[in-house]
Amino acid sequence: MNLLKIFQTPPMDSQLQIVSGVPVFRECTRTELEALRLHLHERKFLAGEIVFDEGEQGEGMYVVISGKLRATRKGLLKKKTLGNIAVGECFGEMALLEAGPRVATVVAEEATTVLAMFRPELVQLAESRPRLGYKIARGVALVMEARLRRIAEGQPEEVAAT
Amino acid sequence: MKDEFPTERSLEHPIIWVAVIAGALGSIILLNAVAWLAFPLVLAIVLYYLVQPLLQRLQLSGVTPNQALGIFLGAATILTLIASVTILPALFNSLADLQNQLPDYWVRLQSVLHNNLLAIEGRFHFAKKAGLADGLQGQIDQFVAGSGKAYLADSILFLVHWLPSLLLVPFLTFFFLRDGTAFHRLILRAVPNAFFEKTLLLFDRMDGQMRAYFRGMFGLTLLDTVSLGLGLWFLGHGAGVFGFWDAMLLGLICAVFAWVPYVGSALGGLVAVATCAVKAPNEGGLLFSVVLLFLGVRLLDEFVYTPMTVGRALRMHPLITVMMIFSGGMLGGVYGLLLAMPLIGIFMVLGQMYGEIWFDPRLRARQQARNLLEKRLASKDLEL
Repeated sequence: MNLLKIFQTPPMDSQLQIVSGVPVFRECTRTELEALRLHLHERKFLAGEIVFDEGEQGEGMYVVISGKLRATRKGLLKKKTLGNIAVGECFGEMALLEAGPRVATVVAEEATTVLAMFRPELVQLAESRPRLGYKIARGVALVMEARLRRIAEGQPEEVAAT
Repeated sequence: MKDEFPTERSLEHPIIWVAVIAGALGSIILLNAVAWLAFPLVLAIVLYYLVQPLLQRLQLSGVTPNQALGIFLGAATILTLIASVTILPALFNSLADLQNQLPDYWVRLQSVLHNNLLAIEGRFHFAKKAGLADGLQGQIDQFVAGSGKAYLADSILFLVHWLPSLLLVPFLTFFFLRDGTAFHRLILRAVPNAFFEKTLLLFDRMDGQMRAYFRGMFGLTLLDTVSLGLGLWFLGHGAGVFGFWDAMLLGLICAVFAWVPYVGSALGGLVAVATCAVKAPNEGGLLFSVVLLFLGVRLLDEFVYTPMTVGRALRMHPLITVMMIFSGGMLGGVYGLLLAMPLIGIFMVLGQMYGEIWFDPRLRARQQARNLLEKRLASKDLEL
């Protein structure tokens, strides 16, 4: 009976399980996610530490593995909180497409672990695995589309606008 | 944020410039000190950048990175075996012929030099008074009898010393190809959060610069070899001076010399002209044609080949280039000459990014804030 275990696929790494639920990576297969793992950098932030600033040039996106973050934007008089970012959510994905300025500041609310993926590495990955590159680019496009649709419908700005 | 915290950009600061030059020269000294390791390391890096696109092509056809590496290694082993059975014996034969002919070539070269100097003496009185021809011949004889032998012995010892280290090249290349990404991640883990994105950008730019440089140099060498080789063959085969492969080999030697900007090109030209002078001392027209060919290929190289291959990424002021090459040569011999330009390119990117990080007060402030948070966390339950 135990011999059969050899032929069973081992369970997916817990961090990858979270990544697989993120809209940007939802279309990726398990093999593709495992290939992607090499390009995901784990970073740990302390409570109160800034992940990135509004206006800073964005180079990549982050997936929250544990902890909680808060996104804010400068208002006329004071900072405007856009919302919280929880486990399994991603932020900063616009930077995967272009190195534009960040549209919000993201701060860790508590000790937080994130996985970061950067545009130059995605470009490199897409050159050797175009199918995976296409899936990720499509994932980002779908997230953007959903956001634009919400804005067009007059719903308030959300955390995802980072 | 850029508007609020104006940053002094990149290489504009003199301290950064000094650090870039000092870093490049310091690396040359360091690499020269561990030449037996540096030589295979540099070769492995060059091979890594040359092989990487092949692996990427393989991966595009649907194989995994490890399978691509396995296919490549298998093919490389088969090709090496075929080469060792077919090409190597022919190469050793050619080298043996060359060894037999070398004394004859050496005598002919001296004779061409002597005759030309005698012709100069005949035309210019001051040259005759100085005894140019006999003086130079005396010095050559003295060098060959004395320090020449010592140099030869030193060179052979040097070759014996570093040749075994060449065995490291395939070993190092294999691990660069297999574990390059994991190693990259490991290094990045040590970078503080505040500087992480910028450092990643630095790595990407540096990688791009090295990739462009080594692949470009490979392409440039191929183009130079073919142009010079075909030209020499076209000019020399009628007079029976060059066979096709002789011309190609000479073209390759000149193309390799051209790796060292300015200085190497001139030296390559001298080698080509000297070879013609030795092989056909009475063909003045051929000598002139070879000089013209060489100048033509240099122009092609400068205005067509280099922009097509290496590009202008590493272009810097010619004065700095020449100074760096000579300083590199002085500090690190052949290594220094060859590595001065790629090293200064790498240190320029490092300096540029370091400048961007160091002169960005916001990033430094964020790092200080992190340190404070860490300190506060560590001393939370302590009564200070």
